[in-house]
Amino acid sequence: MRLFRSEEDIDRWRTVRDLPLGGTMTPQQCWELAEAWYADKLSPDWRRKTLDDAEATLAGIGLTDPFWNLRP
Amino acid sequence: MTSDVSASTDALDRAVRLHVFGQAAETARVPQAPDVAAALGQSVTEVESSLLRLAAGRVLILAPNSTTIWAPNPFCAVPSDVRVEALGRTYWAICIWDALGIPAALHADATVRAGCGDCADELVLEVRDGALTRGEGIVHFGVPAVRWWENIGYT
Repeated sequence: MRLFRSEEDIDRWRTVRDLPLGGTMTPQQCWELAEAWYADKLSPDWRRKTLDDAEATLAGIGLTDPFWNLRP
Repeated sequence: MTSDVSASTDALDRAVRLHVFGQAAETARVPQAPDVAAALGQSVTEVESSLLRLAAGRVLILAPNSTTIWAPNPFCAVPSDVRVEALGRTYWAICIWDALGIPAALHADATVRAGCGDCADELVLEVRDGALTRGEGIVHFGVPAVRWWENIGYT
């Protein structure tokens, strides 16, 4: 996952590499994802998120497209 | 006997996890197995076994086919093109998600600088008082979520 200046930059980058368009999110969505994912990572009682938790986190920031589906 | 061994293993894994992440947070440098072993009074072999268990549990990421810690994510052991300035220190991250994960984990203000994946122009994101106050660019994930852990380095 990488940061690009614009959607045009993403298109140029992936066209050169013959890659399909993946999933995109705004920096604000990425910050909300990072907060949800890592705010407790230094806690002694930290536990890895369950699949249900992870799905709820993605859905909670508006990532509901099949690209963000975590189940095989 | 089995439960004793399991409890002992769990305690070691917890101690290793707390030391690695604590050091990464407090110093912006990631300790490796010999450092962790010395700090915890354990053998390097025991710590390496613990690191392999932690990696299998997706607690941290090792360099391929080794016990070298690459990313006690969100922190990264080696310089990358995603730099995070926080608490007067410079941290590295393997991706923009983790870069923002650093101020989230530290509960601190931060400035994230990353090169555009295409043109390499510097893009800046700022976190102040628990909010994103500056957010340039757009984040692209090339790998569908269900396949992220097939090759987390590529993801």
